[in-house]
Amino acid sequence: MFRQAARPAVQAARAAAPAARDFSASATQNATLREIEGRLKSVRNIEKITKSMKMIASTKLARAQRAMNTAKVYGESNQELFKNAEASEAEGGKKLYVTISSDSGLCGGIHSGLTKYTKRAIAAEGGDAETGLVVVGDRSRNQLQRSNAQNLRLTFNQIGKQVPTFGDAAAIADTIIKSDVEFDQINIVYNKFVSAISYEPAVFKVFNEQALVNAPNFKAYELEEDVTKDFAEFALANAIYAALVEGHASEISARRNAMDNASKNAGDMIGSLQMQFNRGRQAVITNELIDIITGASAL
Amino acid sequence: MFAARALPRTVPRVARLARAYATEAPASEKLRLSFALPHQSVFANQEIVQVNIPAQTGEMGVLANHVPAVEALKPGLVEIQTGSETKKYFVSSGFASIHPNNSITINAVEGYELEAFDAAAVRANLADAQKAVAGAGSEEEKAEAAIELEVYEALSAALKA
Repeated sequence: MFRQAARPAVQAARAAAPAARDFSASATQNATLREIEGRLKSVRNIEKITKSMKMIASTKLARAQRAMNTAKVYGESNQELFKNAEASEAEGGKKLYVTISSDSGLCGGIHSGLTKYTKRAIAAEGGDAETGLVVVGDRSRNQLQRSNAQNLRLTFNQIGKQVPTFGDAAAIADTIIKSDVEFDQINIVYNKFVSAISYEPAVFKVFNEQALVNAPNFKAYELEEDVTKDFAEFALANAIYAALVEGHASEISARRNAMDNASKNAGDMIGSLQMQFNRGRQAVITNELIDIITGASAL
Repeated sequence: MFAARALPRTVPRVARLARAYATEAPASEKLRLSFALPHQSVFANQEIVQVNIPAQTGEMGVLANHVPAVEALKPGLVEIQTGSETKKYFVSSGFASIHPNNSITINAVEGYELEAFDAAAVRANLADAQKAVAGAGSEEEKAEAAIELEVYEALSAALKA
């Protein structure tokens, strides 16, 4: 079958041919294989991280929602007086917007939604430097600093890592009142928790002492003189508290949904990358087989 | 003939009954209480007989159809009588608003049932607060300690009673 004389030449050719091929064709194929392997590894890590973030957000959500329901009842009961007295906003008064966001990201469109809403509201007021803006949370602050720097009066951060307490809200309200920011009415912009998969920016109107005194049915109430001012300040703290807790719950649910989507996308990527890897690996093997077989058939 | 005489007698009686209903005040209207804390909603629009609140102007008892008022609260006991039982809550501070529609809303910053307090811990913290008020420290720290002292004194008085 094989002539003795041809064997050494064929052996040399067989040795040379696959070596030449290793260098040119399957070398790049091996390189792409390694590249795909690297990408697979990193996407798998990302999927692990996003999955664990989703788990953490799910467990935090239950607690945050419970706190939110209590805080909402608390905030609404505080509003009873304003509703019964039929307090209304004074025309042409100085407005102060308090935007409640937070410092952490990876939560979908929470912060940019608030920023857009605040920008639109301030523009609707006339867009001049008269309208004051207080921002709670670094994310919205960074966005609003670029567009509404002349309205910015105060900023707060380090809020939102745990469920907000009344102490946090009281500190914010206290700082606003003690500062020399002038206002006739405060509009609190926060994310309203519509459901576990949706939220929307909303406004909470807080009336100050003057608006309460001018309210039509307020005269029905008996009270000491300085109680009105104290009550208005208390109402501000309560409103900020309710907005903080609800915003916190919205943020956690948005983060859970965002991480859920990210995990799904990562899973899809892993699937398609795995397919690519397998195809590439099979192509390399097939090429090597072809080399061997053609080399062998040339013998 | 009987029937004809009976009819005119019944008609005026019905009219008198209607007038009686209109003049009588509704006796079933009880005072409705909403007592909310930031961390817990204790009562939500529940009907009660009487509530005693520790107003800054003095302890006051609120019954049904009270004059509308807004009262600031000092540290003290809120006693709620639901007719069948009396519940006592110690609150740190807050506001109580009595509305014209026979309802009262109490918003307190901190409050717990009186039974939940530990007398020994209260005594220890009271002593600490007394020391802080008397000791050295900035004006702000002393003022905060004075507020703490007020709360603990009220709390120990409530526990003893």
